[in-house]
Order: sequence, then structure tokens, then C-alpha cells
Amino acid sequence: MKSLPILVVGGGISGITAAVEAAEVGAEVILVEKEPTLGGRVAQLRYYFPKLCPPTCGLEINYRRIKSNPKIKVYTLSEVIEISGEIGNYKVKIKTKPRYINDNCTACGECEKVCEGERVSDFDFGLKKTKAIYLPYPMAFPLKYVLDKEALAPGDLERIISACKYNAIEPDMKEQILEFEVSAIIWATGWKPYDASKLDILGYGKFSNVITNMQMERLASPWGPTGGQILRPSDKTFPKKVAFVQCAGSRDENHLPYCSYICCLASLKQSLYLAEKNQEAEALIFYIDIRTPGRYEKFLKRVQEEARIHFIKGKVAKIEEDPETKDLIVTAEDILSGKKIHERVNMVVLALGMQPSIAGINISGLKIDENGFVISDEGIIGCGCAKMPLDVMTSNETATGAALKAIQTILRR
Amino acid sequence: MVKEIIKMEPDLQAIKEIQAIGADTLKKCYQCATCSTVCPLSPDEAPFPRKQMILAQWGFKERLINDPAIWLCHQCGDCSKYCPRQANPGEVLAALRLSVIRELMPFKFLNTFYNNLWGFPILFLISLFFILLAAIGTFGGIPNFFNAESFPYGGPSYEIWFLHLPARILMIDVVFIPLTVFVIIILLSAINRIWNFYLDTYKIPQAYRYKVWSILKVYLIPAIAEILNHTRFEKCEANKWRALPHKVLLWAFIILAFTTAIVFVMADILGFHTPWHPLLHPVKWLGNIGGLMLLYGIISIALGRSRAEVEKSVRTSYPDSLLIYLILFIGLTGFGIEIFRSIPSIKNATSLIYLIHLALVFILFLGVAYSKFTHLVFRTTAIVFDLYFKDITQKMS
Repeated sequence: MKSLPILVVGGGISGITAAVEAAEVGAEVILVEKEPTLGGRVAQLRYYFPKLCPPTCGLEINYRRIKSNPKIKVYTLSEVIEISGEIGNYKVKIKTKPRYINDNCTACGECEKVCEGERVSDFDFGLKKTKAIYLPYPMAFPLKYVLDKEALAPGDLERIISACKYNAIEPDMKEQILEFEVSAIIWATGWKPYDASKLDILGYGKFSNVITNMQMERLASPWGPTGGQILRPSDKTFPKKVAFVQCAGSRDENHLPYCSYICCLASLKQSLYLAEKNQEAEALIFYIDIRTPGRYEKFLKRVQEEARIHFIKGKVAKIEEDPETKDLIVTAEDILSGKKIHERVNMVVLALGMQPSIAGINISGLKIDENGFVISDEGIIGCGCAKMPLDVMTSNETATGAALKAIQTILRR
Repeated sequence: MVKEIIKMEPDLQAIKEIQAIGADTLKKCYQCATCSTVCPLSPDEAPFPRKQMILAQWGFKERLINDPAIWLCHQCGDCSKYCPRQANPGEVLAALRLSVIRELMPFKFLNTFYNNLWGFPILFLISLFFILLAAIGTFGGIPNFFNAESFPYGGPSYEIWFLHLPARILMIDVVFIPLTVFVIIILLSAINRIWNFYLDTYKIPQAYRYKVWSILKVYLIPAIAEILNHTRFEKCEANKWRALPHKVLLWAFIILAFTTAIVFVMADILGFHTPWHPLLHPVKWLGNIGGLMLLYGIISIALGRSRAEVEKSVRTSYPDSLLIYLILFIGLTGFGIEIFRSIPSIKNATSLIYLIHLALVFILFLGVAYSKFTHLVFRTTAIVFDLYFKDITQKMS
């Protein structure tokens, strides 16, 4: 197969899968990722569906496949800014931000020890700070540090340069615009959590113990801000009673008009995280409908046995904070009894909806629908959560399908 | 034991009726209950409007008539603002109120005239018919409607028993006294019906079903105090602006009713006949203040509604507009009479304005039983019931 390469945009689980599948049948692949590391949302999770594996399990083997395959070229810190041309021959412009660290980096960590400047970790959704020079996460790919120049403290630069034994720090790296000619584009840019501050009645950003479900994943993750302890932000204690607010932003014409597919399962899964830490922990799941697509019905049964869950039919539309204890009082109408209830809980988890990562961004040459999901078009093939809200397993299936479609564009010529 | 099977049949006709009257978004509701929680007026024990939404989706009119909650709703619009389905529960409840008014009142065709634009000319002709009939009777033939000295300020005077009544006063009395009596009778009968429905719905034990007099004594006074203060209305968030103009309007009606009562006693009974000097007579001062408040209230409501419609926190249906414009034009024609009759060059136009004013007041009076205006009576009833229910629940527990 001597032809133009396939471009895969997005280095999360879908993009990685598509890249590996295409490359392993012989296609040249360019894999572009916006963040400094591959892994995407899956890397941020404690466990992922369907089998509740830790992310290391699925990502590590794929990283090995990428590393050992010369047909895949990975560009991190890179974004597609323009697409032109047609199926079989697209011209793509890519903007690559400087990492300020070259390939000499061995991730020894000496630089981090001497660095004083700090930055808020977006990987941990603001729950933690990292040094200005940091490794995105312990198994990052590529396993190289990144420098956030703006977060450096005075004198940091000299200190980290002298601490690095491998001459890996290059403070003069510049932003680059790269241009590629490709035969097909697999669009796998995934999702971002909906902006919780837009849900004004739910108190996110106002009350410290109202967190999002992705923040909960970080709290439960062994390499998260609390080392996997699940401690609530206000006083770093274990929340014994947690309310899960389903459909926070999803199925809502004022926010995301679609069902985000995974949030019910995520809350069930997170109830297990609580039970894992403390058998007495209680989860209150406030729902409109509990949606467990397909065989996940079985998972619901399992969680009901293993965790202490109270299901309350009725959407939470009011959250107040007890200013002294920082506990929260959650109000909903319990539809089954027809009365309003006010539950005092230690922490609230908003089961936030998924929004396409590219929502609100205009990329010339890319078709998207009114919600920002990508529309597949000739040689541009959407997959994973860029296409619709999905779980990991189904994302991977769509990625494999997308790889086949992309290969067809090469073979047909 | 025989197993009882309860089969629920939706009332399709009722659903269509409710949808047609302003609840077209009714079926969008998916019962998440956001509305009941964001509603600042919805009580813990019997929250609304989520439950009323599903009752309406099935067309269960009976259950809705029996439910004071639809009257406790002040259409703040918080529910509609936060509704994830844009099902507009606030508007649906407004439509349910109209539909309950229709169900409770005899002579439903009158209600139809009030709920449709095409009905307005008919209402206008009906009221004109009664007023003209009375005018011909009291003025002794058709007066000249283009001459203020002939109508309304002409015609014979009548000495009945100890009363001394000019033609125009007798004309008003023969039209409006029977009209008022008619409206009061049908309203009292409707209040009696819904009160008993409420007692049954909330399963009030016999021992706590007090006599009318003690209900009025204990609960009506605090209810009225609350209404005069607009305590509930002022809890609204999304449409906070509505409480003040509505309060001003309510007070305007009270002042105007009080003025009318004084005029009725002084003129009709004691014989001190109008027109009185618009600037010097204290009763006129009061009337003018009431009139200005009425205009201020109704104009603020009209403007506020059009602003709120842009923000989509309120929608205005025909019955809303009818009431707004009716009150506005009553205010304008009321002042019109005063102004036109004091300027000699245009004085003769007073007759026609007077006639229109009376016809509109007729439509408003009848509307107390057949239009959105009926909320005045039923909301008061529901608030009395709410206070009564809260009180006896406390006593029972």
C-alpha cells in the first residue's frame, strides 16, 4: 500500500485504536493530539467500562503497539486548524505548540524537584497543582516532561536547566505550523465535561463540596490529587453520604438536549468507589430515568448488591450549603411519594453531560451538527465521542470501523 | 379477595381543549420534577406543578378541578425558565386555570366568547344590547348619542319611593345590579363546589370541617391580608417584576370599588348627584388616584410582559391579552369621559365614550365569572384553603 497517509485527529482511546488498527494492516498513520500526552479521558478515570479496568490496562498495550510500529507518527500538543482538498487528497494544517523539552528527556524528574513555580492541573480538573515543569501522568506517552513557561517562578529556568543532566530543556522552541497531505481523516477528538457553572441552581463553583463526576474519578484515582483516598475538597474527610445529581446538563434543552449515555453508569460505578473505601458509605442517586443501555442492566444489579444506594426519582434543582459544616442540602421532589425532600449530604457529585471537545470551535473544512458532534463526510470519518456520546467499548468499535473506512479510501484508488 | 383492576383512560377531548387554550407544550413534559423544586411557592407536602402536568397530559379534568395547587401558582415563570424540556409548566397551569373556570361555570358559551378573539365583538354587542335597552327604557326613547346634554346628562328623573334618580343612574342600576347579582350567585355556587372538592381531595375528617362562618373568620382575614401584601407573589424569582404592578392594580381596583360604593350610597341613595367637580371633590380625588394607579399597573404589566416574552420567561395567550386590554381601555375611557366633558368644544363626544366605557365595564363585570379575571375569586379560595389545611394538619398531628 504505497499511498498518502491516514490522519487520525485525537489521541484518546478512539484515536489510538483507529491509528493502531490502520497501521497494523499497513497504512501510514499520522496521529495528532492536542494535549502533551496520549490517553485522553480514559487516562483520567479510576476504572473504565465494561469490565472496570484501570486505564493502565487498555492504554499500556496500545502505547506498546504504537511504539513498536514505525508506520505511526505521533504529534502531541498539536491541533488541526484547517482542512482542504477532497477524499484521497486532503491538505491539513496543524499547529504545534512548543513543549520546551526535547527527545533527550528521560523523565528522571530532577527538574521537577528544583522547580518552584506551580500551575493548576487541568488533568486533575483543578483539584491539584503541579510544578511548572511536569509529567502529565506517570504513564504518559510520550514519557516526557512538559514546561509551562508562564508558570515558572523567577530563577526557575536556570535551576531546571542546570538540574537536567541530558540537555533536554530548550526554552527557545517555537510554535510551528505543519502541513500534511493525507488520504483520509479519522476524527476522534472526543468529549469534554459540560461547563458546570452554567447550571446555576446546582452550586458548582460556589460550594466547595459540589464536584463533577470527572473530578470524582480523579479523587478515586491512585495517581490523583488525594492518592485515591476520596476526600471531599472542604476538609479532606471521607464523604459518608454522597448525592449524585443525574442529568446535570444532559437531556436539557437549555444545555445539552441529548442523553450523554454514560452518566448513569458512571454514578453507579462511583457508588462502588465509595463502597470500596467504606462499606457504610451511602450513595443517593437522584434520577429522571436510570439508563443502563444494553447489557449494562446487569451492572445495575451488581452495584445494587455491592453498594448502599438509594434511588430517588426526581431531578435535583436546588442545592444549599450549610456554612458551618460545608455539608450540602439537596432538594428534589420524590416523585414516587409526591413530596419534596431535603437531604443533607457530605458531598454532591454532578453527573455532568458530555459535550464534544470541538463544540464552539470552528475548523475550516469540518462538518459538525448543532451540538458540535462531527458529521462524517466522504473521507472524513468521525468516531468515538466526537461522533456521539458513548462508552469506551463502543468507542473502540466505532474506531475500528473508522479505520476500515479510511483504508478503503486508499485501496479504492 | 378480588383483585381490583384500575384502568386509566386518557380523556382525549380534554387534552385537546387544554392544549388549545395555551398549553400546547404540555406533552413535552417528561416528569423530571425540576419545576416543583425550583418553584418558590410549591409546598413540601403537596408540591406542584409536576403532578398537575401529568394529570393534564392524561386529561384528568376532575382531578385538576379538585386541586387548589393550580390556584396557588402565581405564574412566576421559574419553572418554565428551568424546564429542561421547554414544556412551560407556568403557561400550562395558566391554561389549566382557564379550563377549570370553564368547567365550573354555567352557560359555557359565554366562556367561549371570552377565550377567543372572535368572541369579543359578540360580547361587545351583548353588553351594548343591555345598555341600550336600559337607555331607551330610562331615557324614554332613543336619546341623541351625539349630544352630551341629551345622553348621558339628559333624560327624565325618577322618584321611586324615597330615591331620586336621574335617567343615567337608573340606567346603570337596572343593568349592573342584576349583572352583579348574577355573577355573585354563580361564583358563590362555584366556590361552594370547589371547597367541597378540596375537602374530599385532601380527605379532611368530619371533625375538622368547620362551619362557613368560622372558616371566614379564622382564615379569610389572614388570606386577604396576604393577598393585599402580595406575600406569595413577591417570592417569585424569574418574573419578580410582576408583583409590584399587580399589587398596584389590585389596590387600584379596591380604591375604585370603594369610590363606586361611596358614589352609589351618596348619589343613588342619598341623592347627591354627579358629576362632581373633578378637581375639588374628595371622592373624585380618590377616584382619580385609583384611575391613575390602574393605568400605571396595567401599562407596566403590558410592557413587562412583552419584555418577558423576549426572554421567554412568560408567554401571553389571548385570555391574558383580553384582560390586559380590557382594563387598559376601561382606564382610558374613564379618564376620557372626565376630560371630554370638561372641554366644551369636544363635550358632545362624551356620549359615545361613555357608552363604550359602560360596555367595557359590563364585559369586565361578567368576566369576573368567565375570564382570567376569575382568578380573583378562586385564588383567594385556594389561599384560604391552603391556610386552613396547614392549620388543621398541625392540629391533627
